[in-house]
Amino acid sequence: MQRKYFESFVLMHDAGPVSIPLPGANLVLSLLALNLVLGGFVRIRKSRETIGILVTHAGIVLLLVAGFVKHHASQDGRVTLREGESAAWFESDVAWELVVRESLADGSCARARRAVRGARNAARPTRPRRSPRTVCPSRSRCARRSRTAGRRLTAPACSAPEPRDKEVIARMKFAIARGHGTPPLAGLVWGAQSAPFAATVDRRRFEFDLRRERHALPFTLTLADFRKEDHPRSNMPRSFESDVVVDGERTVTISMNEPLRADGLVVYQASWGPQGAAPGAVLFSTFAVVRNPADSLPLVACIVIALGLMHHFTRKLARHVRLQRAAHGAVA
Amino acid sequence: MIRVARILLAALAAVTVPIGTARAGDPDARAVEAFERLPVQDGGRVKPIASFARFTLLRVSGGASPADDEGRRYSASEWLLRLALFPELAKDDPVLLVEDSQALVAVGIADAEHGKRDRWAYSTLVPALPGLLERAHAAEGIAAGTRTSIQEQTVRVAESALTVLRLGRTFDFARHRIPLVEGTRVAALFPARADASVADVIERGPEIARLERDLAATDDGREKGAVSALWRAASDLCADAQILAWIPPAASVAAEPDWKTPADLLVAARRGEAVAEAHLGLLRVAEEVVARRTDPARLGAALEELVSRTSALAAARGEIADLDVEVAYQRLGLLRWANALFVAAFALCALGWLRTRSLFLSRAAWIAAGAGLALLVIAVATRCWIRGRPPVSTLYETVLFVSATGAVVAMVVERIQRQRIHLAVACLVGAGGLFLASGYEALDGQDTMPSLVAVLDTNFWLATHVTAITLGYSAGLLAAALGSAYVLVALVRGERADAERQRSLARSVYGVACFALCFAVVGTILGGIWANESWGRFWGWDPKENGALLICIAQIALVHARRAGLVRDLGTCVAAAFGGTVVAFSWWGMNLLGVGLHSYGFTSGIQRALWTYYVVQWSVVALGGVVWLRRRGVTRARSSAESLAIAALDAGTPAATGNSVPPALPRRTAPAAKSAVR
Repeated sequence: MQRKYFESFVLMHDAGPVSIPLPGANLVLSLLALNLVLGGFVRIRKSRETIGILVTHAGIVLLLVAGFVKHHASQDGRVTLREGESAAWFESDVAWELVVRESLADGSCARARRAVRGARNAARPTRPRRSPRTVCPSRSRCARRSRTAGRRLTAPACSAPEPRDKEVIARMKFAIARGHGTPPLAGLVWGAQSAPFAATVDRRRFEFDLRRERHALPFTLTLADFRKEDHPRSNMPRSFESDVVVDGERTVTISMNEPLRADGLVVYQASWGPQGAAPGAVLFSTFAVVRNPADSLPLVACIVIALGLMHHFTRKLARHVRLQRAAHGAVA
Repeated sequence: MIRVARILLAALAAVTVPIGTARAGDPDARAVEAFERLPVQDGGRVKPIASFARFTLLRVSGGASPADDEGRRYSASEWLLRLALFPELAKDDPVLLVEDSQALVAVGIADAEHGKRDRWAYSTLVPALPGLLERAHAAEGIAAGTRTSIQEQTVRVAESALTVLRLGRTFDFARHRIPLVEGTRVAALFPARADASVADVIERGPEIARLERDLAATDDGREKGAVSALWRAASDLCADAQILAWIPPAASVAAEPDWKTPADLLVAARRGEAVAEAHLGLLRVAEEVVARRTDPARLGAALEELVSRTSALAAARGEIADLDVEVAYQRLGLLRWANALFVAAFALCALGWLRTRSLFLSRAAWIAAGAGLALLVIAVATRCWIRGRPPVSTLYETVLFVSATGAVVAMVVERIQRQRIHLAVACLVGAGGLFLASGYEALDGQDTMPSLVAVLDTNFWLATHVTAITLGYSAGLLAAALGSAYVLVALVRGERADAERQRSLARSVYGVACFALCFAVVGTILGGIWANESWGRFWGWDPKENGALLICIAQIALVHARRAGLVRDLGTCVAAAFGGTVVAFSWWGMNLLGVGLHSYGFTSGIQRALWTYYVVQWSVVALGGVVWLRRRGVTRARSSAESLAIAALDAGTPAATGNSVPPALPRRTAPAAKSAVR
């Protein structure tokens, strides 16, 4: 719902029986940026009087740039760990990926995965692509073998996700090519299925799984301990804290308003569970993970804007007070 | 600081000796003064019982100090002490507020004596209590927001009645004694005694528990029955004491954060744990308090003993540094005095408009407003001191801060512009804000210095983002008030308005709007940075974020429109008046939507006040339109008259040269009309 209004250029707003076309936030913000540049930099008179205004506008542009970078170049997702568990990846909240696994004769497993752009939650269906590329996590033997598996995938046709139990779960239809003359094998995977879709092609066994898109963490995160404290004699939470071990070496405490910043990533305390667990039970802690190149830009923009506004308005106020004094003096 | 507060307290106690005859069972001043300082742990923090009593009474009675049958007002602490010590008398006091007696008619209570909205005595409600509780229970199953007002009322009345019932039984553990069954082994644990108090049972708890274990192997029904009857009676007497935790644990805060009630001590004793001597001592002193209830001198002494022992235990844990300051804060009622002073100062300002040359009136207005502001600032500072937090951390505190900063800014503008109108607006903002604060406090009935949930519990962001955005609210509302004053003056005085004054007033509206813009923009961005710091997203289109953005947009539009020459003085003031409703919507309206991270709860009384403000400000905007149309009419008339005159001049008619303005218009107002429409 939010995406419909705030991440679009034009949208149709359903107002009862009629639909009204409305500009989306993307269009409005683009126009704002254009107007800001034209009005605030190009057309404005440039003099000592307008330094403050120019600086303020520069700050707003900086803020828009931060928003643009965040929108296009950031990764975000979450990772849930039980006490004692480790992970070196986090998964997206919205994007999905198709994973293909092949069980090999030596007992190992070849794996290929592919981000499924069209299968974002609540997104529109996308047109199938002609030449799917397989994304390989590493250049191992597995990866080499998996490339063959990848070639056997024809373009995945993503259908629109359907709501299920109020939660939107992606589903995806695809087809597996089986050489000349043989019709392709159709497959369907669900985001929440308990077992992968299995198919045997050329006496090789593949498994297909649709899951939240995973990103690698540049370090291993281990949850040592999670604590939730309430204010005494009340059920109002006072603090949520997770002790995590980074790369098995240093222990860091992540709490509300105190995220962990490392290697361009920020790890936040986001959630916990299970709710109402007995004392001493093993708890889990969920962290939000964000990689945002423009993370500190809003702060810079804020300082620039504050300085610009302060400079401009204090100048004006001082001049006004001076004039007012003079006027009162003249009257007296 | 604490000593000063005590001296102030004593002085105030001397001044505010209640007038009128005390009822039977009314505690005397010394007892109340001692009782107020009893520390209790409630709502996640340690506070004086004065604060607990105040907010409990607000919930039950809808007012901070109700009157008895003879019209004598009593404080919340007096009410609570009387209720705890003399429940048999206090149950007839009319304190339970019923907003709509329909809620009681439904359970079969109706009488001609009580009005639709009235305060009832607990004893008159008792016959209907089972029915009331049953209906309240059913109503609680219905989702909040979809309940009818009668159902809301039923829940509220039932909660109040239960609160009164339980508070009346708080000291039952110290009031009654449990008879012992003669000749049993359990009675033998209390040698030469026919009965035992709860404190006695807790003291002998480990021995009784051992006896119970021994008896478990036998099948002596009489002995077993005697032991279990003793436990049952003791826990019945303690049951309602659970509402108040006033016993600080002996261990450190880290080891044992929760304070205890007599019921907790009984549970520990029954588990076979020896209860600390200090805790037993507290129970004995409580017994002493109840036993001396009819003897004023000894009651006061016993209460002082109770408070000093409890405080000593709490102090050993380092928990009660500023309790006396809070008692003084609750008792002095600084905000009430500040409100009265603002109202008086406003009256003086209004008189000053009638007698413009009176230096006395102007000075008196300044002194009254300054004193009101000083009290308000002291109150806000005291709250910061008590909780060790920046001035704004709850919705209630935003109101105090907005009033204080609004009044300060208006007074500063008055010093610069010297127009007499800004001071009046300062008083209006101060008084209006404080009325709103007390109204909200009574509606909400919750501690206004509560513990904060984890994400809000950060002094850095409370001090920067919250303070900045609240300053933005404050200046935005002040600009709206000043803009409204401009429009109203222009409307009422029309062409007779002092043009220079009006221009100067409009300039100050613009100045205050710029001030609002600064803080609203910076505060909003800081809010985003805080969100990025705690959740990893700068902006999530949360309702409160959108509200803050609306304020920024409204102020930015105003400032740009004026700079670009799209609006003049009148337009600036009308836009500022409209901006006030944007601020009010973002400040209160968003919380009433009941969604988003920032919503604090729903209150229908606020809804009414909010809509009143919207309607008033929109009317001002409409009146601004009237002023604009009238001025345009005047200019047209003037320009057509001028062209007539020029035509007449051209024609060489000498009669027209002396009067270029139509006779209907006084000559001196012509420049005013011109400059205003320009």
